[in-house]
Amino acid sequence: MVRSPRRSAALLLFAVPALALYGGFFLLPAVQGLRYATTDWDGYSPTFDEVGLSNLTEVVSDDDLFRNALTNNLKFLLVVVAGQTLLALLLAVLLAARSRSSTVLRALFFLPTVLSSVSVAFIWKFVYDPNFGPANTLLGAVGLDSLKASYLGDDGAAIFWVAVAQIWFHAGQMMVVYIAGINQIPEELYDAAKTDGAGKWQQFRHVTWPMVAPATTLVIAYTTLQSFKAFDLILGLAGNPPRSGLDVLATRIYSTFANSQLGYAAAESIVFMVAIALVTWLQNRAGKVAHG
Amino acid sequence: MTVLNRRDLLRLAAGAGAASFLAACAGPGDSSSDTGATSGSGSGLSGPKEGDISFAHWRAEDKEVFEQIIGEFAKATPKITVRQDISPSNDYQSTALQKLRGGSIGDAFTAFRGAQFLAIAEAGVSTDLTGQALLQKYETSLITAGATGGKQYGVPYQLVFNTPLANTDLISKAGLNEAPKDWQGFLALADKLKSQGVAPIAWPGGDAANAGQLLNVLVVNNAPTDDALGKIETGEHKVTDDWFLTVLKQYAELRPYFQTGFTGTGSDAALALFAQGKAALLATGSFQVSGVRKLGATFPIDLLAPITTTADKARYEGVHNATFILGVNAKSSKQGAALAWLERLSDPAVAGVYANGTAQHVTVKGVEYTNPDLKALAPWLTRKTALAPRFQFTDLDIRGAVENATVQVAGGKSPEQAAEEAQKVIDQKKK
Repeated sequence: MVRSPRRSAALLLFAVPALALYGGFFLLPAVQGLRYATTDWDGYSPTFDEVGLSNLTEVVSDDDLFRNALTNNLKFLLVVVAGQTLLALLLAVLLAARSRSSTVLRALFFLPTVLSSVSVAFIWKFVYDPNFGPANTLLGAVGLDSLKASYLGDDGAAIFWVAVAQIWFHAGQMMVVYIAGINQIPEELYDAAKTDGAGKWQQFRHVTWPMVAPATTLVIAYTTLQSFKAFDLILGLAGNPPRSGLDVLATRIYSTFANSQLGYAAAESIVFMVAIALVTWLQNRAGKVAHG
Repeated sequence: MTVLNRRDLLRLAAGAGAASFLAACAGPGDSSSDTGATSGSGSGLSGPKEGDISFAHWRAEDKEVFEQIIGEFAKATPKITVRQDISPSNDYQSTALQKLRGGSIGDAFTAFRGAQFLAIAEAGVSTDLTGQALLQKYETSLITAGATGGKQYGVPYQLVFNTPLANTDLISKAGLNEAPKDWQGFLALADKLKSQGVAPIAWPGGDAANAGQLLNVLVVNNAPTDDALGKIETGEHKVTDDWFLTVLKQYAELRPYFQTGFTGTGSDAALALFAQGKAALLATGSFQVSGVRKLGATFPIDLLAPITTTADKARYEGVHNATFILGVNAKSSKQGAALAWLERLSDPAVAGVYANGTAQHVTVKGVEYTNPDLKALAPWLTRKTALAPRFQFTDLDIRGAVENATVQVAGGKSPEQAAEEAQKVIDQKKK
């Protein structure tokens, strides 16, 4: 059936509300961000000075706090992407079968996903408390006092402890994506592999893993974005402002904004967006290379 | 009905896009409606004393006491209704200015002393209260933190002591009946407390907002001048200077006397350690007395500041702060009602209800303290205490760098290295 041009144009109107929202709440602030990034506006004064690109050059070349936040963010990203993807895949492989126990366990592992970030932060703040938390209490109970730690108080390791909380928070969600992928794999492929004498590991390596590649791409991309946007969990765990060991790009930008440096915070946001774009592009390239 | 064709739609989209771009390019200073003027749409402080007003603050623990005061206020002035808009203190520190600028909340508001108060005043959000009768009800020397540029933009309401709380039962058991007069005496006390199986000091090193309270008492007697921390921000002093290195070295000396895992301990956990009698000192301040009592502690509480010098060189016995600065929002259309609320809070009887209900001293004159803890701490009102120096920082990144260095040193980093790293950040951030 051929649709008349007039009718098609009318149908396009249905997109207007969404476009208006997108324009008003994303496009416009994004353009404003570019504008403010070239000023020294404090966020409230009626006047400001143009500073050209100096905010941007300062962010990338002469700001230890921003560099520290970027480093923390990359460490967090690597651990969360690797840990969450592997754990989600493992859980999915173990729980893909349709049985009553699998359904119960899937629900159990998915449960943290429905909690708010603030609730998760409260839970893990308690877990990591050096004096009252179950982590150190458990270590003490089994005679491993030497392994007791201050967790979030250890500047070198704090970001990794937060990564553990983030993985616990979202692995169940990614597990569901993998289960959907695994359930799409034709049973005949496993039958053929078994006929050829493939064991469980070989079935996973030569059937499951290649067939869930699209799901893996989705999981990694989503986890990457989550890792860059882990603002509320970090603020909940580390307090505001977070100490240097827990400062990531999102919290750094927020701290700059709170410090009445809106122009500079806008410049940091631009670098933040570029960093996300760069990491996403690298992931896409790596994915294409890996999948031929 | 007019039906748009595809070309019309494209024109519409292009027009909207161009308008959005131009709007975005309209800089912050181009708006004549947002000039930071100091009056709202009403008739200023002399406006009608009526309407529903918002009182913005960060003290959730004071909510019930304020509700009691608001209830009495409503009976006396039925035309005014007060609603509390409470944010957690950290959020309030970060976002209050932008929220107040909108004028939708905080017809009457509070501000932290230092960076936040100055930013709010500079943004034209505070109404000038100079000459208002309510100022007469305050101790003049205690409300200077609410003034800038020769104008009184607010009145600090709380008088708190940013001096460690002491469980005097545990201190007595350690054989001490009066506070040590010098640094060596303090370390000897800490040794005795430790030998008795309690943590000498509970310190929330994992909570940036409260970890920095200890800096106040470690700085006041070491600093060459009372405004030395502020001068770090302007570049006149450096954290690599000898006096600040002494401060950092004293943090290192205190390392064995903090509780286990102190760099990862939050404020609530430190409070619990102290309230349960597992720690003898709580290195925060008098604003946590009511929290300690709420956890069921019944032991007597006093303040005990480590004197960081020899007795003859000590200039101060502790630290105080005048904060919770009350103000009227210049963007509010109900400034008359907001002022009436501040006048109510400034009444000595009402201020007494607040003080005794929250276990905090106030800056209002003639208040009768009946709360046993306030009575016990009353001698500190006349003792030689310095105004808390950490609030001299107006740049939060610089304050963070300095306070982060103290936690790192306590955690094991060398004072020199921590100081150098902090100074590098300060050099990058100072204006």
